[in-house]
Amino acid sequence: MDPVYIARHPAAAWRRLEDEVIVISASDSSLFTLNEVAAEIWECADGRTPLAEIVAQHIVTRYDVGFDEAYSDARELVEQLAGKGILIVSGEPITGGDGR
Amino acid sequence: MSRLLGEVHEKALRLGIPWNVHLDLTWRCNLRCVHCYLVQREGPELKLEEVSRVLEELAACGTLFLCLSGGEVMLREDLFDIMERARRLNFYITVKTNGTMLEAEAVRRLAELNVARVDVSLYSHQPEIHDAVTQAPGSFARTMAAVRELTSRGVKVQISHVLMRQAAASYTEVRRLAAELGATYKLDATITPRLDGNAGVLRLNVPDAIWREIYNDPELVGPLMPDSPRSAPSALAELPCSAGHTACYISPFGDVYPCVQFPLRLGNVREQSFEKIWRESPALLRWRAVRNADLVVCRTCELHNVCSRCPGLAYMEGDLLGPSRLDCEKAYARTGLRPAPLAE
Amino acid sequence: MQRESARFRVVINIGGLATGFVGTDLAIAQSLERRYHGYLASPLAPATCEFTVVRATARVEGDNAGVEITHHDGRWFIRRGSLSAEYDPVAARGSAHLDDRPYDIDSLLRIVHTLLLAREGGFLLHAASAVRDGHALVFAGASGAGKTTICRLAPPDAVLLTDEISYLRPTAYGYTAFGTPFTGELGIPGMPISAPVRAVYLLAHGDRTRIEPMRPAEAVRSVLRHVLFFATEPESVQAVLNAVCQFTRSTPVYRLEFRPEPDVWERI
Repeated sequence: MDPVYIARHPAAAWRRLEDEVIVISASDSSLFTLNEVAAEIWECADGRTPLAEIVAQHIVTRYDVGFDEAYSDARELVEQLAGKGILIVSGEPITGGDGR
Repeated sequence: MSRLLGEVHEKALRLGIPWNVHLDLTWRCNLRCVHCYLVQREGPELKLEEVSRVLEELAACGTLFLCLSGGEVMLREDLFDIMERARRLNFYITVKTNGTMLEAEAVRRLAELNVARVDVSLYSHQPEIHDAVTQAPGSFARTMAAVRELTSRGVKVQISHVLMRQAAASYTEVRRLAAELGATYKLDATITPRLDGNAGVLRLNVPDAIWREIYNDPELVGPLMPDSPRSAPSALAELPCSAGHTACYISPFGDVYPCVQFPLRLGNVREQSFEKIWRESPALLRWRAVRNADLVVCRTCELHNVCSRCPGLAYMEGDLLGPSRLDCEKAYARTGLRPAPLAE
Repeated sequence: MQRESARFRVVINIGGLATGFVGTDLAIAQSLERRYHGYLASPLAPATCEFTVVRATARVEGDNAGVEITHHDGRWFIRRGSLSAEYDPVAARGSAHLDDRPYDIDSLLRIVHTLLLAREGGFLLHAASAVRDGHALVFAGASGAGKTTICRLAPPDAVLLTDEISYLRPTAYGYTAFGTPFTGELGIPGMPISAPVRAVYLLAHGDRTRIEPMRPAEAVRSVLRHVLFFATEPESVQAVLNAVCQFTRSTPVYRLEFRPEPDVWERI
């Protein structure tokens, strides 16, 4: 499995609101609310931690799901968020995300 | 209100989060607008380090929407340092400015920092009228140049059109100008009293006939009209305003208020943490306990559905729980029905 | 997990009608942003009406499926191909199943906007429009009548509002025409601006350029022929008829026969 790195786009505005995360895209054209699991992944998106590690440490243990299923869902989610321009997805560690 | 926005807002309310914060960085200004509500005041403005601490406290309290304003915000030499810190804290930033000091380099930085929107004040589509309001010859031309520079850089611009007697009928032209410039248009049809209670500027308000016209223009009347989206019964609907519940204002001197237009002082961020003021200020807790059902006159008024009653204005008029006559007049203009407080 | 893991809100503003879309299918959000670029309002903006959107399960090919609109229990029910929607005008809220292809969203917007505008005397017209000297010129006609041609011939100082569907709304100073993203053969969305209407021209091809004012009754009939309207319920039909009468009273209507040559713009 090739490593996947994710970073929050530095232009997105966001805040955690209890169990959710609210994100507004840089172009100010969409508002998103991320549910508990997606919010967890979002907050871990520092550009340095591989997605597999995020899923293994934060999702599998906490939500009692199998790794393969969780990882494939997480991949789909990050691709969608990347498509909306609020997340950066790369095969290499990312600098310049909002974790800088 | 939108389902999604409504849910988010309700949640912020339930959690007691100051979701929207308006932070004035200075009250100094290079213009001398005749209708200005600010009262000149001596005293040190919050320094960069103090502002940074406040921003960190706001982020920790959960604030997402940050409006940076003034005075003229561009007079703060450390404005871009402040914005950079605010962006690192992931705020959604809007900036209010008169635009006269926005040179190309400043615009480039605003674009780079992903400022969500710049609100630029305009008083007329005619340079001589605008300049007469700002008492600064050439201000119209400089403001126009700034708006063009902003939109060409892809920064979203809102023209905030303060309508006053000098240019009472100009809203269609200013709206058209905004459209030509690629900016959105927001009409502000009420001149409010000065923060020290001086009501002299109210004579600048437009005649009732213009208000009536505005409220008959389908493009301008927002979701306040009777057949527009109604909020479902909710915690929000029982509150007179979001000020002090999910919104607040911080002055350049660190004073905290429920809203820029609501001079009920809650505390000062130099003396206490923002969070302490937000959670414990006795004045704020008293205000937060007020429900629509407590509004002595307004609760029985048949126009409450179409009224934009501002508690800050009511407070300035002398009674936090009473009507705000300016809003009564607008509700009258909107409906042709005379609300009780105007009958006297 | 990913199904419900994110929700979105996008607001599209056409003709001053801010229409909100909320949903969980981010592909729909993406289509909205691409398709209506230039007409996107802030996602925080209050909306005139708002729809919860989900993806239609049945995909219907072709875009000629007829529209079916019914009105009962205070709600509108809309069907067209893969699109099915309902709308509650009192709450100003609705829900829609649609394909994320532009066609369904275009249909939904147009249908709902015709209903919203009818209440205030506004309507959608099969017409090209452009702004020149601060006023809008509106060119109505069926497909093939020359809407796109007239847009192609427009002088550089004319700003194109649309080559296909114009939004017309009454204001204190007569009718205003709004730019729309709806395109005909030109394939270029109009500018998201508006201007008061100076005149309406009913297009016809001719061997020379000829402009004739229309009599009131003929003007009403001709304009009415190009109005987009889908509902058949009597109250709404009457509202549109009244709107067109009001429009033709306040706006000069001409018949314009033209040869596709640039000088047509100098004649109008």
